[in-house]
Amino acid sequence: MTTTLFVVALVVLTALVFDFTNGFHDSANAMATSVATGALRPRTAVLIAAVLNVVGAFLSTEVAKTISGGIVNDPVVTPVMIFAGLVGAILWNLTTWLFGLPSSSSHALFGGLIGAVVVGAGTSGVNFSVIVSKVLLPALVAPVVAGLAAGLATYLIYKWMKRADDEPAASWYRRGQTISGSMVALAHGTSDGQKTMGVITLVLITAGYQESGTGPQFWVIATAGLAIGLGTYSGGWRIMRTMGKGIVDVNAPQGLAAETTSAAAILASSHMGFGLSTTQVCAGSIVGSGVGRKGADVRWRTTRKMVYGWLLTLPAAGLMGGIAAAIAITGTIGLVVVFVALVAGSATIWIISRRAPVSSENVNDSRDVVINPDKSTVDSEKSTLPA
Amino acid sequence: MIDDVKIDWASLGLVAVTTVVAAVSIIGIFSVGVAALGAADTRVANGQRAGITRIVGFACLAIAGLIALYGIYLIIPVFH
Repeated sequence: MTTTLFVVALVVLTALVFDFTNGFHDSANAMATSVATGALRPRTAVLIAAVLNVVGAFLSTEVAKTISGGIVNDPVVTPVMIFAGLVGAILWNLTTWLFGLPSSSSHALFGGLIGAVVVGAGTSGVNFSVIVSKVLLPALVAPVVAGLAAGLATYLIYKWMKRADDEPAASWYRRGQTISGSMVALAHGTSDGQKTMGVITLVLITAGYQESGTGPQFWVIATAGLAIGLGTYSGGWRIMRTMGKGIVDVNAPQGLAAETTSAAAILASSHMGFGLSTTQVCAGSIVGSGVGRKGADVRWRTTRKMVYGWLLTLPAAGLMGGIAAAIAITGTIGLVVVFVALVAGSATIWIISRRAPVSSENVNDSRDVVINPDKSTVDSEKSTLPA
Repeated sequence: MIDDVKIDWASLGLVAVTTVVAAVSIIGIFSVGVAALGAADTRVANGQRAGITRIVGFACLAIAGLIALYGIYLIIPVFH
């Protein structure tokens, strides 16, 4: 096996792993409120989301022409840097999942790439102005706009309908949620599904295995779709709990307001040329739906933790991507070392998560995602008291 | 490097306004439908005829459904 083929195979594999983490990180975006209100049973919810993500991946015809949308200078980017960036993004996605924090997978990927490119090609390889306009500003705008819209919608529901939480109204809202959540999942598949395809395709082109200017090959579409679908089906229950119960206990009308807002914001942003992060839109909607309902206790402590997670995403993934790049560019042994470190790091995070696992069985049982079950009982008791 | 930041304020504003208007209108129409269906049930329970309220209720839900279909049309790139 030649070195190029080895590198390409490693990048493809890592990209698919990233796609998997992307799937389970974002499963909650579409389905958390439906799971929390009981509109869908947990397993059914993630199955629907997974199928729609795969369908979405096959539907999207417009595959990303650039790796990062201009955040890094693509010509200086080598497959090894992409590999290192993906490693940083995967490790950050797993870390935030461990803490049950919804954070943007795209930002993790951008961060990892930025770190890897800075190490591999210097700061001139990164377009800092594009980071401001495409990452930082949208990150501020997304939760505010979504929170405002969902808050207003929720407020109006409860203003007009005193008995929105009672039957039969609540069951109509739950039925509506099935549709709104599905739309978020489908939209997610068409956007995030094709991101990984774009990365793999560009690597194949750079390495000379594919003609420049051609679209993704069928096996790339199929494996990327499968990876994000499997990831979505695995559920990311820790994040699901935070989104559905942790930020605010979501009732059916709130859930519909939040999901409809998310779907509207995602569609508007993807059609009007101002890309917003799905995760931040969905989290913003949920917070907004909590503020909009009188008596809903939005837990600002959890919300703050989530916002810190967002602020850390770019630098943390960047740091890990940078370290990975520094080791990986030394040669084949460096690449293997980084890959082994990725496997070991992922396994460690998974083992830590087993101390207080969250699954489809217990996702709605608590509002907290804990890491150390013995120590944090005191914490969680404190956090259930009204603010 | 920061001074050449180009921010498309117009599309940002458009996205913001569209999101708020779309979310509030869809939820509004859906809620009117739910309220009307609830009112229809109450009338029937009181021995009255549901009459127009039930039709209005389902019409509102149908409009919300059509908006959802338009959303699916927007999501699927083959359509446009």
